[in-house]
Amino acid sequence: MSETICISIDGKVMAAQPGDSILQTRLHGPDAVTANIGCMGQGVCGSCRCLVRKAGERETVSRLACETVVEDGMQVSFIDYYLPDHVHRYRPHDLRDGWQALPQLQQTFPETAHCRHCGGCDRACPRGIPVQQGIALASRGELQAAAALFDPCIMCNLCTLACPENIRPNHVGLYLRRAQAIQNLRPGDLLRRLEQQARGQLAIDTTAHLARSES
Amino acid sequence: MSTAISYQQACLNRASHATPPLRADDLSRAALLAQYHPDHAADASTLLQIGSSRGQPCHPLLAGLLQSNALIDGFDLAGAEQRSTDVLVLGGGGAGAAAALTAARGGADVMLASKLRLGDSNTVMAEGGIQAALAASDSPQQHFDDAMRGGHNCADPQLLAQLASDAPGVIRWLIELGMHFDLVDASSDGGKLRYKQAGGCSQPRILSYRDYTGLEMMCVLRETVELEPGIQLLNRCPVVELLSHEDGSCAGAVLYDLEYQRFIVVSARQTILATGGCGRLHLQGFPTSNHYGATADGLVLAYRLGAQLRDMDAFQYHPTGVAWPQRLRGGLISEAARSAGAMLLNGLGERFVDELAPRDVVTAAILRECAAGRGIVRDGQQGVFLDLRRLCGPDLPALASQLPALQHLADKCGIDPTREPMLVYPTLHYQNGGVVIDSQGQSSVPGLLCAGEITGGIHGRNRLMGNALLDILAFGRRAGRQAARQAQAARNKSSLPPLRGGIEHVYRWQRQLALAGLDASQQAPLLYPGQARLTLHRPASARA
Repeated sequence: MSETICISIDGKVMAAQPGDSILQTRLHGPDAVTANIGCMGQGVCGSCRCLVRKAGERETVSRLACETVVEDGMQVSFIDYYLPDHVHRYRPHDLRDGWQALPQLQQTFPETAHCRHCGGCDRACPRGIPVQQGIALASRGELQAAAALFDPCIMCNLCTLACPENIRPNHVGLYLRRAQAIQNLRPGDLLRRLEQQARGQLAIDTTAHLARSES
Repeated sequence: MSTAISYQQACLNRASHATPPLRADDLSRAALLAQYHPDHAADASTLLQIGSSRGQPCHPLLAGLLQSNALIDGFDLAGAEQRSTDVLVLGGGGAGAAAALTAARGGADVMLASKLRLGDSNTVMAEGGIQAALAASDSPQQHFDDAMRGGHNCADPQLLAQLASDAPGVIRWLIELGMHFDLVDASSDGGKLRYKQAGGCSQPRILSYRDYTGLEMMCVLRETVELEPGIQLLNRCPVVELLSHEDGSCAGAVLYDLEYQRFIVVSARQTILATGGCGRLHLQGFPTSNHYGATADGLVLAYRLGAQLRDMDAFQYHPTGVAWPQRLRGGLISEAARSAGAMLLNGLGERFVDELAPRDVVTAAILRECAAGRGIVRDGQQGVFLDLRRLCGPDLPALASQLPALQHLADKCGIDPTREPMLVYPTLHYQNGGVVIDSQGQSSVPGLLCAGEITGGIHGRNRLMGNALLDILAFGRRAGRQAARQAQAARNKSSLPPLRGGIEHVYRWQRQLALAGLDASQQAPLLYPGQARLTLHRPASARA
């Protein structure tokens, strides 16, 4: 391909090959890339989150740079990661008692009830998750339904950035999904195996393969 | 490039077989590997000339990094910020997170430094699943036997036995942290786990979460680490050198804080390297499925400090990386696809290998087809077909619900998997060898532990699917537990903070480089594999 196009990344204009992703273009640039990069195209790590504005358009959209193909005149700004200081900490064993689920959610994520329904989170999500609906369900106590909506979330934190009420919706979603597994998942085969091992059974003979390889 | 069959012709050949025949094999597995596996290429191995594994075979590209000079000198330590901790964990993937959480639970003060951001690692990209022998018909012994056979009987039996025995406890730990697993039946008491078949295994043993198991795992691990008060997190702080005491033991590490562009000297009672593998070195010119950060940093530093290595000439090339379009070249198509019935076809429309043979065998078979002119070429990209027709049918659930990550990838490739096959070619996937460790993750250097892909010996010379996600957690937890124990023992002896170390080992290393006539202008670790190099030392004119 001989034709090149131009895009701007964090204020620097760069030449790009048509068909390349924003991330590939950035890697061909003059600076060492030390942030906002990870899985290089699989679209699972959320590191390369950025704001994108296409030429001639006013609206800015949030995208993953590894999955977004360059277009001439595109403007791109990468978004840093940070852990905000209003995070309410919890530990996995706090989630064991399903009867405490609602008060605990309110205690850990009190902002959940403050949703203004501005839709910022829905617009921000690169996975198309109906984030706002998830938060509405959670604040109504429909925790299983809310958790299910967050299943494809890659924790890119774009909804967290977009939320004017500091709800941290993706973290609410992950909290609810974790609570589900912690409270309900007790597979019988795993219980049996752990119990066998606790009784000292199922030790491994580390020499069996030697006899096999000699035969 | 050898000749190949055009994409259009290959599609016609594929269409002529409703059920593609499996070609009889005229080569033994051993001969196939010897002739076609990239590890056996003439230029894929050299001997290490200096260091504690001198004389051992190693890939030349990696040997170049291992036998290079440090990025820093004593001058850099003079004005650096000083910190100290009980346990310093280097690496923010699954192994680092598991080590940090376990060490913190063991009562240690923990610092976790990562080059990019906590969670940015190969773990998050793992798709297929994790092995644990839970079925009534299965046992840890069979798990051990399969992995030993798959690794060509080269694994350290003690480590492998621990891997298989630790598996049920690892799964329980993950569930306790809130990770989900695929269930056959969610309504049954406690959930019935789904088992998938992996290549080279005697029975289905893979536990998964859809086809993004690593993402599910890493999201849970990252959240737990971030919310754990006993762990101090340093994102964007790559390790540039380890520190040593006079007796040669590890004393912590020197980090480079990218945000403030300065060095941080961390004195630690115990240091755990969990920095992963080296896929981004593109060994043998192959594309890679690996994360941007997979540049062998920890391996280089451990070797310079005196740690022994093993199997540094054994790498895993995953059979099914994306070959077309070029933009996505090297991206992973999980073995879960073949586990669910996807077939490999050459340009003649034939099946040429059992799709669920061990990975090295399948890879060698694909490379053989391409070398023999039976590969397929599309827009200049060569490969073979991964045919998904057996996964798509009127009576089957949609691919998007069976394997959502695969459907997502097909969409990005512009391929409708119900009608057309994907073009695949092997992609550099995993470093089978690495640092020699004992049963608690300790390297041959006192005070330095290793966990995850940086270690060698657990998988022998070829890892089976699902044993890497298990390895990072089983040995990450072991290393974390051991480091906390050792740190406690040191605290019991002396209440003073850990002693400061230095970089005497670097000067010793420089003397060895000079004696061997090696180029001391080569510096490592690489840190970032992009075209532009990061400069750690700003020119004097730029300093305030």
